Amino acid sequence: MTHHHATIPSRPSLARRQFIKGATALASAPFWRDAAARTPPARSPDLSRFFTSDEFHFVESASECILPHDENGPGAQELGVAGFIDQQMQTPYGHGELWYRKPPFVSGPPELGYQLPYTPRQLYRNGIYSLTQQCLRHYHAPFHQLPQDTQQLVLSHLETGALTLEDIPGPTFFEQLRNNTLEGAFSDPIYGGNRDMKGWIMMGFPGARADFMDWINQNGAPYPFGPVSISPSLSMTIRE
Amino acid sequence: MAKELTEAGLSVTILERGEDRHTAETGAYPNSIDELRGSVRKRLFQKLSRNSLTIRNRIDQTALPYRQLAAFLPGEGVGGAGLHWSGCHFRVMPDDLRLRSATIERYGKKFIPDDMTLQDFDVTYDELEPFFDKAEKIFGTSGEAHMVQGKPTGKGNIFAPNRSSPFPLPPMEDTFSAAQFRAATQELGYHPYSMPAANASRPYTNPYGCQMGPCNFCGYCSGYDCFLYSKASPNINILPALRRDPGFTLVTQAQVLRITLDQSKKRATGAVYVDLNDHHEKTISADLVILGAFQLYNVHLMLLSGIGTPYDPHTNTGTIGRNFFYQTITTSRFWLPKNRHTNQFVGAGGAGVAIDDFNQPDFDRGPHGFIGGSPLWVNQAGVKPIAAASAGGGKDRPRWGAQYKSDMIETYKHSLNIDAHGSNMTYRDVYLDLDPTWTNAYDQPLLRMTFTWKDNDVRMNRYVVDQLKPIARAMGATRTELNMLDYNQPFDSRLYQTTHLGGGAIMGSNPRTSALNRYLQSWDVPNVFVIGANAFPHGLGYNPTGLLAALAYWSAHHIRTTYLTSPGPLVPS
Amino acid sequence: MMRRYVSILGLCALIGGLAFSPAQAEDTPSVAHTVPPSLMEQGHYQAILGDCMACHSAPGRPAYSGGVPFALPIGTIYATNITPDPIHGIGTYTEADFARAIRQGIRKDGRTLYPAMPYPSYARLSDSDIHALYVYFHHGVTPQPVSPPPNRLTWPLSMRWPLTFWRWFFAPNVTKAQQRTAAEFTDPVLARGAYLVEGAGHCGACHTPRGLTMAEKTQTAQGGSSFLSGGGVLEQWVVPSLRQENRTGLGRWHEDDIVAFLKTGRAPTGISFGGMTPVIEHSTHAYSDSDLHAIARFLQTLTPAALHEKEWQYDPSSRDALQRADLSERGAQLYIDRCAACHRTDGRGYGTVFPPLAGNPIVLTKDPTSLIHIIKEGDTIPSLSTAPSSFSMPGFKQTLSDQDIADITRFIRHAWGNDESSVKKENVKNIRSKK
Repeated sequence: MTHHHATIPSRPSLARRQFIKGATALASAPFWRDAAARTPPARSPDLSRFFTSDEFHFVESASECILPHDENGPGAQELGVAGFIDQQMQTPYGHGELWYRKPPFVSGPPELGYQLPYTPRQLYRNGIYSLTQQCLRHYHAPFHQLPQDTQQLVLSHLETGALTLEDIPGPTFFEQLRNNTLEGAFSDPIYGGNRDMKGWIMMGFPGARADFMDWINQNGAPYPFGPVSISPSLSMTIRE
Repeated sequence: MAKELTEAGLSVTILERGEDRHTAETGAYPNSIDELRGSVRKRLFQKLSRNSLTIRNRIDQTALPYRQLAAFLPGEGVGGAGLHWSGCHFRVMPDDLRLRSATIERYGKKFIPDDMTLQDFDVTYDELEPFFDKAEKIFGTSGEAHMVQGKPTGKGNIFAPNRSSPFPLPPMEDTFSAAQFRAATQELGYHPYSMPAANASRPYTNPYGCQMGPCNFCGYCSGYDCFLYSKASPNINILPALRRDPGFTLVTQAQVLRITLDQSKKRATGAVYVDLNDHHEKTISADLVILGAFQLYNVHLMLLSGIGTPYDPHTNTGTIGRNFFYQTITTSRFWLPKNRHTNQFVGAGGAGVAIDDFNQPDFDRGPHGFIGGSPLWVNQAGVKPIAAASAGGGKDRPRWGAQYKSDMIETYKHSLNIDAHGSNMTYRDVYLDLDPTWTNAYDQPLLRMTFTWKDNDVRMNRYVVDQLKPIARAMGATRTELNMLDYNQPFDSRLYQTTHLGGGAIMGSNPRTSALNRYLQSWDVPNVFVIGANAFPHGLGYNPTGLLAALAYWSAHHIRTTYLTSPGPLVPS
Repeated sequence: MMRRYVSILGLCALIGGLAFSPAQAEDTPSVAHTVPPSLMEQGHYQAILGDCMACHSAPGRPAYSGGVPFALPIGTIYATNITPDPIHGIGTYTEADFARAIRQGIRKDGRTLYPAMPYPSYARLSDSDIHALYVYFHHGVTPQPVSPPPNRLTWPLSMRWPLTFWRWFFAPNVTKAQQRTAAEFTDPVLARGAYLVEGAGHCGACHTPRGLTMAEKTQTAQGGSSFLSGGGVLEQWVVPSLRQENRTGLGRWHEDDIVAFLKTGRAPTGISFGGMTPVIEHSTHAYSDSDLHAIARFLQTLTPAALHEKEWQYDPSSRDALQRADLSERGAQLYIDRCAACHRTDGRGYGTVFPPLAGNPIVLTKDPTSLIHIIKEGDTIPSLSTAPSSFSMPGFKQTLSDQDIADITRFIRHAWGNDESSVKKENVKNIRSKK
C-alpha cells in the first residue's frame, strides 16, 4: 500500500475564515477566542496510533461524508473526528472490553443485536480493508480518492446493506462509523474531537457548565452563553 | 433495606458486584459532566464482559447474547440503578394493585386475553401509603399534592390517590417545553400536573440527616451521579448515614454466585461470591438473606440457587421467571416555529408536566379493547448533543450528509419530546429462564429473556399516542412526528427504550402462581426476601421506582415487626 | 490544630517531644477501681473538649497511643502515648503528676513539655475536670504498649532546657488563670463559654496572633482585642478572626450559625475547610448543645479588633449582570463557567450544602490565600455523626491557569458588595500543593 502522508486535503482557508467569522459573530464574549487558543492541535495521520495512514484517510473522508462542512458549520474533518476515533481505539471500548464477547457467535435477526466476534478495532481494520479492495476493484482508487458523490454512493450502499464487507454486514460497519463520527464531533474536546468546541457551537449546546438555575424557562428565547469544556487545558487525555 | 435492618439492631453485610461510588469523588463537577464517558460509554452501567443475558422474541427462536448495552441499561457499582436513574418518583393508582379484580369487575373476565397472565399484587394502596410517604421523605421528593388527608389541597394530579402528608418539597419548575404542554393540555380540558421528582427543588435534609443540594436543571441525571447531590440515590440519601453504622459492612467487587441453602432447600445459609480483587470464591453465612440486585439478577440468582421452581411456559407451572414484563415507551416529537428555542439541554430527570387522563382507572378502556394505560408527558431531562445528533432530524429524514446536518440542528434547537410511557401486561410465553448455551465470566448459565410486544399493549400505545394530535395543534407545532408501536413489530434490543424491566419473581397470594408472598418473602425459602421490580405482577403506566421503594419499606417494616420476633413464613402457604 | 502551632514554634527552635523512656517509669501503675459511669463520661467529654485525639491518635495506630508526626524544618517530632500503659504511656502518673503536665507543662520527671501541648490554655481547667480527665485516661482508655517513633532532631535543637525558660515567662499561673477566666462574666452561660474557649477548647492556639516569642499575645478576652483576632496564615490557610468584625469576623453570624458550624461543620453562613475541619471532626461536633451555645454567646461579646470596617451590604449589580448574560466584568465568564453551578449567580450558594461567597468572611479577608487555596486544591467536608453527608469542592488547578484563578478570585472578591482588593497571578502561583 502507498502511504500518503502529505496528501491530507486541508480545509480551504477561505471557508475556514468565513466560518470563524460566523462563530465569532455568534459569540458574545471573548471566551470563544480564549477557548479556541487552548484547544489541542489536530491529530494528523503521522500521530495516529491505531489507524494506518490509509485507514486514517478513509476514516477522515468517510466521516466527512457523514457530517460534511457546510453553511451550518464545520464538518468531521475540521472537528478532528478521525483523530478522536483513533484515540478511542486505544481505550477499553476500542478493544471491545465493554461488550459481552463470549462465543459461540451465531447470527440471528437484526433485532437481537450485534453478534459478530469483532471488537471496534477489528471492525475498522477488517471493514476498511474489504471496502478498500472493493473500491479499487470497482473504481480503481481507494475510497478517499473518489469523487464526493461516489463516496456518498458507497456509504449509502453500506447503510442499506447493498454492500457487505466480507462477513461484516454493511449496516453494522456504517453504524459503527456513524456513531463514532457523531461522538467525535460532539463529545467534550478533552477527547480530541469537537475541536474548538465548534460542534457544540453549531448545535447551540453549552457544554460542561451544567447550570441552568436562572434559565429554566426562557419563554422561547435561546440560552445566552456559549459552550465550555470540562478542561480547556487538558489536551487529548484518554480515558475509558 | 440495609438501613432499616441495622436500625433494628442487626448486623448487615451488603455484597456489591461493582465498585464503591461516592458522589464527591466519582460524580464530582465538572468531570462527571461528560456525555461520552457517561451515557455513551456507560460509566455507571453493567459490565457486560462479566455477565449479560440472552434475548429472543419467540419461544421457537434461539436466544442470542445481549452483547452491547442498548435497549435497557442495568447499573453496576454502589447505588446501582438507584444512582443512574432519572428521578421520576410516582406512587401508584390504587386499582393498578388489583388490576385483575378491577378489570373483571368493570369489563368481565372475557375482557382479559387468553394468554395474558394478569394477577393482583395482594397489597392495597392504603396498606402501602405510609411507606410511599416514608420513601418520599427519604428521597426528598418534589411535587404538588392534590388530596391530603381527604382534603383537596393543591394543583396536583386530580387522579392521584389520597396522601397522608404533602410532598416534602414544592414541585420543580416547568421548563419552556413543559410549560407549553401544560398550557395546551389545560386548554384541551385535560388535567396536567407537575411530575413528582426525586430531584430536590430546594436544599433538603432527610430524616437520616442526609443532605441534598437543589437541582439546577443541569440535565445530567439519567446515567450520571448528580454532582449537585440533588437527585435521590442510595449514595446521597442513605449511605452517608448507613456507612457510619457499626453494624453495617459493605463489600464491593463481590459477585454473588448463588445463595446457599441447607439440605432441606427450605432455608438459606448464606451466599457464595467471587471476590473480584483476588478472584477467589468466598462464602458468607447469614440468618436472613435479602436479594436486592436489579430485577433481572434477582431472578437469575433465584434460578442459579434453586430457590423456588423455575417457570415452564408449556405447562404454565413454576414461579421463577413467570410474569416478566417491560414498559411500553414511545417518544413523539413536535417542532415549534424557529423563533421558539426549546433549549433541550436544560432539564431534570424527574421534572416535567404529565397528564393521566389515559392512565387513570375511570378512563373507559371498553371501547378501545385494551387493559392498562399510559400517561403522556413532557419530561425534558436534558438532551445532550451526541444523543441529539444520533437521533437526527426525525424518522424518514436523512441520517447523514448535509440535509441531515441541517435537520438535526433545527431539531435540537426547536423541537421537544413527548413520551407515552405506558404499561406492559404479562403473557404466558413472556418469561425468564436460564440459557442453555451462553455463560458468564464465572461459567454460570446466562439468564434468557423471551420477550416481545403483544397486541393489547400495542393497541394501548397506539390509542394514547394518537391523542397527541390535538395537543400538537394546540402547542402550535409546525411539524409533528408521532411514534407508536406497530402490530407484530418484534422487540428490538438495539434501541434504547427504558430500563424498566419487571416481574419474573412476583408477589401474590398463591404460591403456585407467585414466587413471593405479599411481604416479598420467598414462599419456598422463608428466610429469603426479594426486593425489586421483579415483585410486580405486571407493568404500570408509571415509573417503577416509587412503588419499588414503598414495597421495600413495607417489607422491611414487616421483617422488623414480625419476622425478627418469630422467623418463619409471614403468610401460611 | 496543634499541628499548626508546632510548625510555628519550629521557627524559633523550641522543639522537642513529650516522651517517656522506660527508665523513667518507675512508679507502680494505679490500681483499677470502680469508677462511676458519670465520672467516666465527664472525663471522656473533657478529652473531646480538649481535642486530645487530634495530636495523640495517629491513623493506623490505637487510640491515644501517639505517633502523629510533626514535620518541622529542623526535624520531626512525634506525639506521645497517653494511654495508661505504665511503660509506654502515662500509667505511672499520679493525679497530681497528671494535673501538673496538663496545666503547667511539666512532665513527671520534671522536664518541660513542648508547648505543642497547649498547657497555657489548659492551665484554667478546673480541678473537677482534671480529675475526670485523669480517671478517663486511667480507666476508660485501653493501655497500649507501643511507643511512637523516636524524635529525629539534632543537637543543639534537641535540647530541652530552653523550654523551661519559655515556660517561666509565658505559662500562666494556674490559680490566677482559673480565677481570671472565672471572673470575666457573672452570666453563667458566658462564664462557661469563656472557660471553654480560653481553656479546653484552646481556640487561641490558632486564632490568636503570636508575638516574637511565638507565645499567643494573650490567653483571655480580658487580655485585649488581639485575643482571637486571627492567627495569620497557617499551612496556606488564613486563620480568621473570631471577633465581631462586620466583614472579616463573625459580626454577621448569628448564635445559631456558630453553633451549627461547630456542631456540623456547616452553617448557612459558611462551611468548614482547611485546618478547622479536623477540629470539628474530632472535637467540636461532639460538644453538647449547651456548651456550643455558651461558646457562641461568648464569642459574640468580643468587640471588633479591626475597627472601622465598613458594613458589608449585598450589592445585586454583579448578579443582575450575570443573569442578563453580561460577562464584561473581568473573571465573570470564568465564574459563570466554573463556579455558578454551585455558588449561584447571586453568590449566595445553597444553605448548608454549597456555601455563600457573598459576604463570606473568608472571601473578605485582606489576605486572599484561603480563597485561592481552595479554588486550586478543593476540599471536602467529611461525614460526621451530626451531619453524615460529605460534600466536596473540586480543585481547579488542573483545569485553570494561575491567571484564570486570579481572575476568578478577583471577581468573587469584587462581586455582590464584597469589594475587596484584587489578586495577582503571583498570589496564585505562590500557593503550592502539598499533596
